[in-house]
Amino acid sequence: MQGIAGYVIRRLLLAPLILLFISVVTFSLGRWAPGDYVDIQAGPRASDELKDRIKEERGLNDPVYEQYFRYMANIFQGDLGQSVKYRGQDVEDVIFPRIWVTLQYNVIVLILTFSIGIPLGTWAALKRGTWMDPLSIGTFLFFASIPVVVSIPLLQWLFAVKLSWLPSGGWNVHEFWGIEIGIFSREAILPILILTLPGIAGIARYMRSQVLEVLDQDFIRTARAKGLHESAVVTRHVTRNAMLPVATIMGFELAALTAGSLFVERFLGIPGIGQFAFETIGSRDYDSLMAIVLLGSAIFIMTNLIVDIAYGFIDPRIRLAGGAGAETT
Amino acid sequence: MDTRRLLSLLGGIGAATVVVIIVLAVVLSGGGDDNGSGSDGDGPSIGDDLPDRESNELRLFGPDPLILDPACASDASSAEYIVEIFSGLVSFDLDLNLIPDIAETWETSDDGAVYTFHLRNNVLFHDSSRRVTADDFKFSIERALNPRMLSTVAEVYLDDIKGALTYARGQADEVEGIRVIDADTLEITLEKATPVFLFKLSYPVSYIVDEREVGDSTCFSDTRWTLNPNATGPFKLTEFALGERIELERNTNYYLEPAPSLDKVTYIITGGSSFTMYENDEVDITGVGLNDIERVRDPNEPLNAEFVTGEQLNVFYVGFNTEEPPFDDARVRRALNMALDKDLLANNILEGLATPAKGVLPPGLPGYNPALEGIPYDPQAARDLLDEAGGPDLLDDAIIIVPGSGATAGPVLDAMVALWQENLGVNIEIQQAEFGLFLRDIDEANFQMFSLGWIADYPDAQNFLEIKLHSRSANNETLYSNPEVDALLDQARTEFDEDARIELYQQAEEIIVNDAPWIPLYHGKTSALIKPYVDGYQVPAFVLPNLRYVTINK
Repeated sequence: MQGIAGYVIRRLLLAPLILLFISVVTFSLGRWAPGDYVDIQAGPRASDELKDRIKEERGLNDPVYEQYFRYMANIFQGDLGQSVKYRGQDVEDVIFPRIWVTLQYNVIVLILTFSIGIPLGTWAALKRGTWMDPLSIGTFLFFASIPVVVSIPLLQWLFAVKLSWLPSGGWNVHEFWGIEIGIFSREAILPILILTLPGIAGIARYMRSQVLEVLDQDFIRTARAKGLHESAVVTRHVTRNAMLPVATIMGFELAALTAGSLFVERFLGIPGIGQFAFETIGSRDYDSLMAIVLLGSAIFIMTNLIVDIAYGFIDPRIRLAGGAGAETT
Repeated sequence: MDTRRLLSLLGGIGAATVVVIIVLAVVLSGGGDDNGSGSDGDGPSIGDDLPDRESNELRLFGPDPLILDPACASDASSAEYIVEIFSGLVSFDLDLNLIPDIAETWETSDDGAVYTFHLRNNVLFHDSSRRVTADDFKFSIERALNPRMLSTVAEVYLDDIKGALTYARGQADEVEGIRVIDADTLEITLEKATPVFLFKLSYPVSYIVDEREVGDSTCFSDTRWTLNPNATGPFKLTEFALGERIELERNTNYYLEPAPSLDKVTYIITGGSSFTMYENDEVDITGVGLNDIERVRDPNEPLNAEFVTGEQLNVFYVGFNTEEPPFDDARVRRALNMALDKDLLANNILEGLATPAKGVLPPGLPGYNPALEGIPYDPQAARDLLDEAGGPDLLDDAIIIVPGSGATAGPVLDAMVALWQENLGVNIEIQQAEFGLFLRDIDEANFQMFSLGWIADYPDAQNFLEIKLHSRSANNETLYSNPEVDALLDQARTEFDEDARIELYQQAEEIIVNDAPWIPLYHGKTSALIKPYVDGYQVPAFVLPNLRYVTINK
């Protein structure tokens, strides 16, 4: 256990350094992109002198490193700055409601993806050699290979226009104890469906190949040889060992979801963070963009850390080896 | 944990999640079942999926506004909301007539430079706490002009007022030309009499804000008050979820006729497909894009009965850098103009969602000249003219820049380039630039040709000709300069006789069209679908308050 604690502490210490690096890169890339928000928003009728005065007042004419230090000083005082896309609104007021929206349906997607994908993949592996094997893998491949930009209009057309079962988009909330929750409305079904289908297929496909690999291992043959019942072999030995690599892709799945959210939110008109992150770039909303990137990176780092720790619980070898095995991820 | 249990737990969680979501979705949207069951599947009835749809509520698909502070907004998407929520001295009606708003009447001095506005004495703020007085106008206009505000529009629209620019540059403590006579009387003195002043006064920048809530906010900071402003317009803003929705409610104290009839207006601003939402009865009005236009034009299509089009006060054009060869030669510009078939662009490529442009001024604008011939489409004459100027080789490296980042620059640009290729044998390259970069290039005259549009701020020829083509205007991107045109425009700016003014503008327009600093391409039209139960909605030709004329009948 000591090994894990040390490992966690090392990783936690590394996280701020990574975030600092990301902040420098994001900040400079943002500022070096041609044009700034005054150019974009001032409109064609503002005079050059006026635009220049605004840039001066807003500190946009200062050297990039000065702007960066000013920004970081504010961050450390808990001030995330003010938005430009929504002029003068506090960044936290702009991004947190959106993060909450995206988080809600993505958590459901993650739960569904793993809890359906893992049993499904195991089942498919055990049916190897029957007609169900090519059928199931074919189905998985089919769903996993449809890009969201194709599935969105297709499902939208099918469920909203043709069948009229679901609204074509939007986001609708119900209030529970003062918290606005959107996943219990019919608007949430389409985005969840769109992101879950390829997710399940991907996990199931991966799980299937892992299970097949484990099935060929010596210790499985040993387990069978010592007379264990087949169902015990599968649940106690096969699945547990096969799930280890699947846990790894949890982190990647999160990244894929973020990318998927961008399209889903744009096409379906969901006021989430994916769509907004995209818009901040075009509108040069520097402070919002920085906040989103830094928060996103922090979440990504934390998820990977949690996955690594979770390894220890799924695979006892890692706990004994003091985390050395996990560091390869 | 035992793996068997883990697996069944996972499966259980998945199944439970699905069940819980479905059950709750059914339960929570259950209120709509009673009116949904009879509709036989041609779309869920209204009230099914959106909460609390009131019987007298209008649902619209709206743009995402930048800032709802009238002193700051320079974009049409923000102005669309501001004109419904806030109000000022004068406004426009649906027929584009200037009408009194908070100012009930006004007189002008003999030289036309002093306006005395008599305010209505029954104008209350939305919260009914106080009535509007002349001091509110002085405060609101000076606030907009205050250099601390960093407003990009104040100087542009209020520059006629005496002392406005001095104040805006921080060289005075107040605006000299604004005087409060008494609570109901406001006097505004101009630097120089101009008939355009009242038009510019209709723009949101001089609208009333509540001194008690705006605090130290500027156009770039601390604007939280705009999420729930206390104002004077026909509707009050009751809910503004950034990037999500905007809800307006009727101002029961409203002072003009007709007073608003809609209890509530909800704008969905999340983006998405408004056409699909309209088909699904989620919004009551939608614009129609090129993809759907053929379908709604089909007389057999049920939606056809709900289809309307309207003129828009705009012009889309190609601008030339008139100071850089070969575009400093009017013959080259005219040749490129003659080689474009504007009828084809407007009626075929844009499926009739546009009127081919002959000049700068759009139809529907006072001063539009239907007799203007413009530069007609004539490929042979275009070739001859280009040969005379030096031949197609002149345009070897020509580039036209457009804002955008798509796979193509759009069907119109593609058609234009094809026409130039076919009629003149020249290869003009399209370069797309991201919007910020594009604006900077235009601003710094770092271009040969560009393609852009201009939308009226107020319905007057001055807003097109002087602003875009006077040699001293900051918005003259083409650097076009013709002393004769300048003289006509200067004269028109101070001419109070409406017919004489229009005559002057039409003369200037004719010279401009022949000098060809622009290729006027087309005037875009709006096309919309409006549900049959929505009455009185007119697609506005430019941004003006139009929701108080709307009623819902069902």
